[in-house]
This record gives sequence, structure tokens and C-alpha cells, in this order.
Amino acid sequence: MAASLRLLVRRLARLSHRSITSAAANVSWRSGCCLCPSSSRCLSDAAEDRSTHFGFETVSEAEKAKRVYKVFENVAQKYDIMNDAMSLGVHRLWKDMLLHAMHPQPGARLLDVAGGTGDISFRFLDYVYYQQERQKRRATGSSQSLSWQDISDKYPDEDRPQESRAVVCDINKEMLKVGKQRAESMGIISGVSWVVGDAEELPFDDDQFDIYTIAFGIRNVTHINQALQEAFRVLKPGGRFMCLEFSKVTNPILASLYDAYSFQVIPVLGEVIAGDWKSYQYLVESIRKFPDQEEFKGMIEDAGFCCVQYFNFTGGVVALHSGFKL
Amino acid sequence: MLKNVLSRLVRETVRVQRHVSAVPSIQTLTGCRVSVRSFAEVKDEVQPPFDSSLLEVLVCPLSKKPLRYDANTNELINEELGIAYPIVDGIPNMIPQEARLLQKDTQTPSTPSE
Repeated sequence: MAASLRLLVRRLARLSHRSITSAAANVSWRSGCCLCPSSSRCLSDAAEDRSTHFGFETVSEAEKAKRVYKVFENVAQKYDIMNDAMSLGVHRLWKDMLLHAMHPQPGARLLDVAGGTGDISFRFLDYVYYQQERQKRRATGSSQSLSWQDISDKYPDEDRPQESRAVVCDINKEMLKVGKQRAESMGIISGVSWVVGDAEELPFDDDQFDIYTIAFGIRNVTHINQALQEAFRVLKPGGRFMCLEFSKVTNPILASLYDAYSFQVIPVLGEVIAGDWKSYQYLVESIRKFPDQEEFKGMIEDAGFCCVQYFNFTGGVVALHSGFKL
Repeated sequence: MLKNVLSRLVRETVRVQRHVSAVPSIQTLTGCRVSVRSFAEVKDEVQPPFDSSLLEVLVCPLSKKPLRYDANTNELINEELGIAYPIVDGIPNMIPQEARLLQKDTQTPSTPSE
């Protein structure tokens, strides 16, 4: 009884907070919205009434979630190949740069939202393993003058009490299945877990993770502010929020080249390789609809993060936003 | 046909590259527990064992309360709300709409704010 009441109160608080933030937030990416912050409307099934963008189309919010799900369900099997083809392999560099900026230490716990096929999590585990090897080598190196007994005592335990963990959370089962298969084929079983979950309503308790990443996923979320608030909730104090996302290209020449490439080449590649023109059309359109670097930085700050900064990669094609929960 | 050749070429090169980079990670495995499971795994009956260490972090997305793992039905149960989240292929599905109601007379989980 108390729990359901609490749930209702929590829901009301969240809804009223959301109606305030959504009114304050940039309306530019919500075309033709019939936002009415009265609580009665919010409590009813207003998801069908409010509209948002799906690429360049205007759809209802419930519709967007369904269509995004379908897009990724269709492309799941060919997702990794398409990434390589579209970005000419550069997406690997972007993700490597994310890991370098993250610089995780052994024992860190990562939540990889919209992690799908697990690119970030696998890199995280490799990085942490490498860090651990370095630490071990440093430890044995500095103990050259010690006795054999002392040296063996210094070796970390077999089961590594400081075990790093990565949890991959994605709303789409198909993407996770592909990711799990990849993990198995790479021989990674321990250290990564897979969960189907909604970024706007994460199935994790408060203050759980050291690092929260969302790579190329946040523009597909229907309520970005809610996802940011959830990110804030599940991070430990001192935890880091990192978001890799396509963003605005500043240089005009590069911008026109990028536009031409996006709209002429990418959907064609999508048709040839994945047999799906529309999904990749959605992809390039959704990039255009996403707020630019400064705007997104403002949204992250609104969610409560401190020391928010962004780094542009490839002239602004991709931006890495980072914030801390302090 | 060209598409098949192209995609196979890309896939093979990717796999080779992945295999090369995967060598250090193989050394992190703890023993033969892994290989036994992959050989003995039967698709439908024997589900891959659910990672119970996930239970430490997982909570119900609606009420944020801890869940109980039920090995018989292979579900994660939230007693208070009376809902059960299914586990498919070892991956728990924590989307509230996909949860199953346990009893008819408990309050239906309200549609999540999406």
C-alpha cells in the first residue's frame, strides 16, 4: 500500500518536474507540441497527444519509441558492419578516444546505456585489464630487492577483489543479443552483464555506478532530459557522465561536405549493405534534429551535473560531453 | 551476389581483427567453466544461467525496490507490485510493459512515463 502510494507520489513529482523542465527547455526540437502543464493532462495518457520528431517527421511520442525500436531491430545484425562502412572505420577511433578520456581504473563499474552491441564495454574491459597488468608490472618491478615470500604476497588475489564490471543496458533485445554473441565469440564472459532496460527508467538503484556512458544513443531517446536525470540518479557521487553523440559541424565547408555525404551516401550504403534505406535515412535526419554542443551542455547542467565540458572530434561531427555528479 | 561477397569480406576482416585484439582478454577467463557451458548448452530447455551478481544492481524500474530471482519460472519478481520480469537468453527484460502480472487483483503497473 505504502509502496504504491509512494510510487504515485514519485510519479507525480517526476511528471510535474518534467513538465516544468520541458517548458523551460528548448522547444525547438518539439514541433507543434500541445504541452499543457496541468497535472490532469499529464496523468492521463498524454504520450499520444504530445508530438516529437522522428528524423524530419513529426510523430507522437509513443509512436517515436516504437519506430526507433523497429529501426534498431531491423539493423541489429548489420549494425557493426554498417558503422564501419559509414564512418570508414573512424567510429572506432571516436570510441577509443572516449575510453582515453574516461581513463577507467581497475575496480570501476561502468553502466553503458544504449550499449547495444557492446563496443564501449569491451573496450572498457580491455582498458582496465591493461591498466591492471601495468600496475602488476609496476608492483613486481619495485619489489626487486625484496625476498621471494614478500614478492608473492604482493601479487593480487586470483579472484581479484577489485573486479571491474560493465553493465550494458539497451531497450532493444536484438541489439543485446548481437552484443552477447560478440562477447561469446571474443571469449569475454565474466565482467559484462546484459540488461534490457529503458534509459528513461533505469532498473538500477541510486548511487551505483562510477561511470555512465551513452554512445550514439541519446538522440534516439524520446525524453532526453529524463534520461539525463536517470543518469544523475544512478551515478555515485563523484561519478562521471560521458556522452558520445553526433553533433554540429562548425566549419561551413566541412558542413556542406558532411551533409552531402550524409544524405547522398549513407542511405545508399544502408540499402546496399543492410537492405534498409529508411532506417539510415532516419539516422542522418535524427542527427540534424539533435541539439548542438552548447545546448546539450546546458541540458546536462540542468540535470545537475557539474564541470560539464565537451570535446569535438572530426571537426564537430562527433562531440564528447562529460559531466560529474558532485 | 556482389553484396554477399562484399559483406563477407568485411565481416572476415573484422573477425580477424577482433580475434587479434581479443587475445589478452581470453587470458582473463577463470578456468574451464566457460567452455563447459558453451558445449553443454541446449537452446530451449537449459537457459544460460542467470548472472546472480546482476541482482546486486538490478531493481524494479517502477518502484526501485530489490527483486527476487525465481529459478522455476526464470523471472525476477517484485513482490510489492506483484509483477514479474522475464529473463530471455540470460538477459533480464526490465521494461515495465513486458512484465507479467502475478495476481489478478493487484493494481496494474501504471504505464511508464515514456
